[in-house]
Amino acid sequence: MKNMKLDYPKKWYENRIALEGDAEIGAGTPPGIQAKTLAKSNVTRIDTRIAFGTFVALWRRNRGWDAAKLAETAELDTEEILEIERDPHCEPEPDAVYKLARVFGLSPKPLLELAGLIEPTTPRLREEAVRFAARSESVAALNDREREAFEAFVSAISEPA
Amino acid sequence: MTESRVFLRKSETNELVESSLLDEVTDHHLAMWNGSWRPAMEAYCAGRVLRDKPEDHHWDWKWKANEWRPLLGYHSFAIVCENDLQGLMVASDFKSARLQAQFGKPIVYVEFVATAPWNRPELQNPPRYRGVGTVMVAAAVELSWDLGYRGRIGLHSLPKAEPFYRESCGMTELGKDAAHQNLMYYEMTDNQAERFRQK
Repeated sequence: MKNMKLDYPKKWYENRIALEGDAEIGAGTPPGIQAKTLAKSNVTRIDTRIAFGTFVALWRRNRGWDAAKLAETAELDTEEILEIERDPHCEPEPDAVYKLARVFGLSPKPLLELAGLIEPTTPRLREEAVRFAARSESVAALNDREREAFEAFVSAISEPA
Repeated sequence: MTESRVFLRKSETNELVESSLLDEVTDHHLAMWNGSWRPAMEAYCAGRVLRDKPEDHHWDWKWKANEWRPLLGYHSFAIVCENDLQGLMVASDFKSARLQAQFGKPIVYVEFVATAPWNRPELQNPPRYRGVGTVMVAAAVELSWDLGYRGRIGLHSLPKAEPFYRESCGMTELGKDAAHQNLMYYEMTDNQAERFRQK
């Protein structure tokens, strides 16, 4: 996101800075803890579900499939696929995740972790998920960067079924 | 990279001085961090016990820069005034609101924000400039508007900064977050953002 421009009058700063006074303003990671460790704990179930939904959407787009085609192949409802892709607050049924894993040719465990259905144990999976979601945009076709992110993420979650 | 004209208050003259808000932290900014900000922080911390050090004394902005730069969902900001770095911020645009009234809606989440050591009364009294927090919150709110998030933002405040976000910025306190080292979590609603922009 570029070209963001602040255009407030000088008077606004005068008033607002008076309110700030000598207050401290820091926000983020507290001291005494390695930032790398914290980055992992900052990732929430919602964040990984966003990655899960993005992954499902990109997987079918990579094949040129619409949601109905994926639903038919996985023996799920189209609405369920769309809900997984678009609503990170929705908890998918474990059965649906198993069916999707079978279609994707992946072990269900990392997908169940991403969906927030089992406790995360795969090293760095949650960080990878957030990076993946952040690098993927909802456009019609996969661009090179999305494809690169998609393939890297498939590699990260691939393990013997 | 876009540059916005903003203002900070210079303590020495008590006047508002023109400054620049850049919507990208560059190698030049990181060199300034390494050349002046970091040594000033280290000099203050030398010989002090942990509880007397600033809460962000260990933050390595070069490491943070390497983490966020390759990622599309992150945005970084720097404030420069009179040829020196005055503040840094990293925000992300893919997290969701927790407040009931806006639950699940996208927000701009402030990952990290800090002002330079010489702008902190705890380290230098009077501070060289005031207003870095105000400009950074304004930048986060504006980014949120530009993204279509209607000004909604969220952040985990360091303990000593809580009054700033609660009282000066008018954000809603949602309690301590056990998943985030027990830091207090704050959100700004679209109505609060509107008030913040107008005040």
